[in-house]
This record gives sequence, structure tokens and C-alpha cells, in this order.
Amino acid sequence: MSLAPHRVDYLPIIDRPRIEWPGGARVACWVAPNVEHYEYLPPRDSRRNPWPRTPWPDVQGYGYRDYGNRAGFWRMLEAFDRFDLRATVSLNLAVFEHYPEVGAAMVERDWEVMSHGIYNTRYLHDLGEDEERAFYRDCIDTLARHTGKPLLGMLGPAVSNSARTPDLMAEAGLLYHADWMHDDQPVPIRVETGRLVSVPYTTELNDVPVFLQHYDTDEFVAMAKAQLDQLWVEGEQSGRVFCLALHPYLMGMPHRIAQLEEIFDHLRSKEGVWLTTAGEIAQHFLDHHYDDFVAHAERYRTDPAGGIGA
Amino acid sequence: MPAERTYGMDHNHYAWSPLPARPVLRWPDGKQLALCVTVLLEHYEWEPPADAYSLRRPSGGIFPLPAPDFIRLTHREYGHRVGIFRVLDALAARGVPATVAVDALTAEHYPWLTRHCHERGAELIGHGVAATRLITSRMSEADERATIARSLDALRTVTGTTPAGWFSPEAAESARTPALLAEAGVRYLCDWPNDEQPFPMTVPAGTLTALPVFLEADDEFALWTRRMSLPHWSRLVVDAARRLHDDGATTGRVLVLNLRPWLIGQPFRIGALADALTQIMSLPGVWAATGSQITDWYRSQGHGG
Repeated sequence: MSLAPHRVDYLPIIDRPRIEWPGGARVACWVAPNVEHYEYLPPRDSRRNPWPRTPWPDVQGYGYRDYGNRAGFWRMLEAFDRFDLRATVSLNLAVFEHYPEVGAAMVERDWEVMSHGIYNTRYLHDLGEDEERAFYRDCIDTLARHTGKPLLGMLGPAVSNSARTPDLMAEAGLLYHADWMHDDQPVPIRVETGRLVSVPYTTELNDVPVFLQHYDTDEFVAMAKAQLDQLWVEGEQSGRVFCLALHPYLMGMPHRIAQLEEIFDHLRSKEGVWLTTAGEIAQHFLDHHYDDFVAHAERYRTDPAGGIGA
Repeated sequence: MPAERTYGMDHNHYAWSPLPARPVLRWPDGKQLALCVTVLLEHYEWEPPADAYSLRRPSGGIFPLPAPDFIRLTHREYGHRVGIFRVLDALAARGVPATVAVDALTAEHYPWLTRHCHERGAELIGHGVAATRLITSRMSEADERATIARSLDALRTVTGTTPAGWFSPEAAESARTPALLAEAGVRYLCDWPNDEQPFPMTVPAGTLTALPVFLEADDEFALWTRRMSLPHWSRLVVDAARRLHDDGATTGRVLVLNLRPWLIGQPFRIGALADALTQIMSLPGVWAATGSQITDWYRSQGHGG
């Protein structure tokens, strides 16, 4: 029996079909820089104020983030290049229009683009159904215009969602939703039509909460290494997912970039790590494991006391 | 009610009792420190009832977001899906029995998980209905009784017995809670972080022992509320255990360590728990036990209920 919102069946990680990643890898690793634009004077939202520090504008908050696109992004890009890592960029798609140089640099490197909405200051929680449908069309069209590629997945803008979001994502043809941070593996998300997969993003291994909660780079490096090493051990039994969430305005700063490279070096130097993208993880799961997971979860739904080892 | 400037406590839940003035407490086999690890399976609801009370700043996620707050809701769910198994493995590998507080929504909606904990030998204790339905003085007595009954029933269904222990969701109580718990058959209570030994609570019916949690070592208090770094937390827990162990040569001490699978069960954190437990268990005078084992021993030594 699932609890509200009835989207995900309970499946304990110790009792699931085995996930096998390509090449026998233990851990699928995706690195997600968030390339964002926060508006100087966003439209007013009834429930969320992106700039609570002062009456708008908040030039300090705005400038801190604007730094990411003007300076931090470019330094971070060099680190990605140096370690030959392909990012899954969590992108506010209006960045293509405001900052085409940033867009071109990502297209040139064939980064996979995950929608992070249009702006980080326009949320999904108050959109009507048709407005949200139009939002996905906008995301898909904008990406196609600038890259010629289909949109595979989304991390909600500023991780906002409506109750309908997964249904409308699947209806629009997206494969994965990253907002479910409840697991170390992809799992099926129940939707009205089609199929949708959770590829777990992270609120822990994420520079924003880490730095806002007053740790700094040394702690972040230690966390990232320990995270990969633990998942790597467990990945022998069944494949795991490692996600590293970054923001150029934070990890692209001069005093942090060496430690970012230390993390990248750790990812690169470990055997059995599939350096990939969220879309490739979702596609692999859909092709090889989705049906088994749905069937297995059915045992818990029909016989909640039953299952495994019983 | 405001205090009246008279001897002792300003409430009737327990008597004033300075630790050095108590009879000497001895643990089994001359042990000096009783270690009780309590693992909390807290369900955090997507849609709590309108009249339910939650903490104003609940843990998890980043900061309060408009509903549905995917970050916090899914962050908390991580413990039930993934983190719990890491925590149970880390305890088992070091010979530390688990005392698992399971709220009613967890027991009702995750029956496999609840049974799994029971079958692995964990002692299941009552934990209210949900982390989003706290017991507070705003609750009527009838609702509080119903909350306690539902919680205990949900665990009875799995274990066949009334849970011996209780930890209130978010350690929130009304002024009636200890009395109602004792009346319902609960024998020990972990909510009050106020001592280094068990002590008797004063209840009109039944017998209730306080098994005080060590708040500063609590993973949520240290790692989330206080934002302590992981190595610092690990050292705090070990330092506290060492000193309690040494002080326990004079009169026995207890260390009740609260752990949340969504927090300490994250991949990068579990090693810090494992390291701390390894160090604590290497102390010669540590008795790792469940809440009821500690409570039963304490009472058997004539220290009262």
C-alpha cells in the first residue's frame, strides 16, 4: 500500500530486482551543475519569495548568483574539460536566450540538458493544468530550438512541483523526474499515461545546502568521497546511483575549484563507476529494469505483509 | 502553572533527585555504561490532517517550501526505503541491539519493514502516529488516548505484545502523557533528556521508568539542528561515552543514542556511526542492551519503577 501521493510503491532497497549497469559498473554517476537565472524583479508568487532579505530588488542575492554565469561557470567548465566529464546540466532554459555563450559552451560539449524550468524564480506550485502543459511545451521547444535535442527529464524549477507534475511530464514525453530524493536507485513513478522514472537528485551532496548550512569545501569533498565509496561497496549487490549537485556560483569560486577537481579525480580514478547522465540512467532503467520493478512492487501491494524472505 | 518557590520540581512527573545522592547503581557483570541505541522510524506525511500539529521548522530538506515540498518529504522517506538497513547492519556488526521506535503510520503502511525490524531482533517501541501529528497540550485527552492506543495497537499487530517503551514523536508531550502511557501499559519513556541514569516517574496507575535520551549526541540535534560536522559528532559521541563509562565505575550510567535512518543512514554518514560504535564497544565496561533490558535490570536492583 502506498501513502499519499500514491506515486511510489514501497520497495526496501534490500529486496528488489538486481540492477545491472553497463559494463558491470557498481555505481552510475551523474554530475549536475545547476545553471540558473534568478530574475531581478520576478513575478510575484503567492507562496514563495525568492528574495526575502530586502524589499526587491536584492542586489546582493541576485549578484551572488549572477556571478555563476559571468565567472564561476567558466572556471567550472575547465574542470569538467580537464577530467573529460560530461555533465547533466540542470538548466533554467531561458539561459539559452539571455546568455547564448553559456548555451554554446554546453552544446559544444554535448552536455545533456535537464530542464530546471525556465527561470529559477517561476514555480510550478500555482500553475493550472493547462498552464503547466504549456510550460512543458515551452521547455521542449526551447531546448529543441537551441540544441535540436529532445527533453528527457526535469528537476522542477527551484524544485517546485504541483500535484499533477509527474502525470504532465509523462504526457509530454519526458522519461525521468529528479525531484524524488528518497532513494539510491531509480524507481518507477506511477503516472496516468505512459511511464516515468525517478532518477534521484540529491539535497545532501549538494553545494547549496552544504554551504548555506555553514560547512565548507573540505566537508563537501569528504562527503562526496565517502558517498561514492559507500555506494561502491553496496553496488556489488545491485547497481546504485551517485549524484553530485553543483552550482557554478558556489563550487566555481576560486577558493573551491581545486577541491572540485579533487572530487572529479576521485570519480575518475575508481573502477566500476559508470560516468553517465541522468537521461542515460533513466533509459537504461526503462529498457532493462522498469518492468521487473513494477512486477516486484506488485507483491507488496497485493500482499503487504508478504514479500521477500517470507 | 508557574512554580511556587518550594522544594523540588515544579511539576509532579518525578521527584527531585541529585545524582550523587542516589543509591549506587550497578549494571550486570559489573558493567559501567549501559548503551541503548534507539532508531526512529518516523513517517512524515505529504498531507497531514488540518488540525494536526507539526514542528514549525521540521528537519530535512533545505528550507520550508510551499507544498508539495518534495525535498523534505522525499528526504525523510529515504530512511524507510534505504537508510534503515544500513543503520541496522552497522549496529548488528558491532553487537549492539536495536531499539526501534515505529510510529503508527509506518507500522500500518510499511508492514514488511516493521516485521523485518522485529524479525531481526529489534525491540519495537511506541512512537505516536506520525512525525506530523505531535502529541501536545493542544490535543484533547480523548485524542491523546486514541493516539497512544493506535500506536501501541499497530505494534501489537506485529509483535503480539504491548510495547514496553515509548518515544513521543519529536519528543513532544502534553502534561498528561506519562500518566496515559503508564495506564496503557508502557513501562519506560525516553522523551526527557535530563539524566545519566534511569529514574522512576510518578504516575497514578502502572509503573513508568524514565530512560533519558542523551540529547547532544542525538543525530538530528547535533547534525541537523546544530549543524555539527560529521567528524566532530563522532568525537562527541565517543567522548561522552568514554566519560560516562569512566564515571560509571562509581555508579552506573546510561547512554541512550537516538538515530534517524533518513539522516545518519545516508551513504556518506554511515561510516561515522560505524566508527563511533566501534570505539564505544571497545570500552571494557559497556553493556549494549535494549530499552526494556535496561529498564528491567534497573527495576530488579530495587531502584523503583
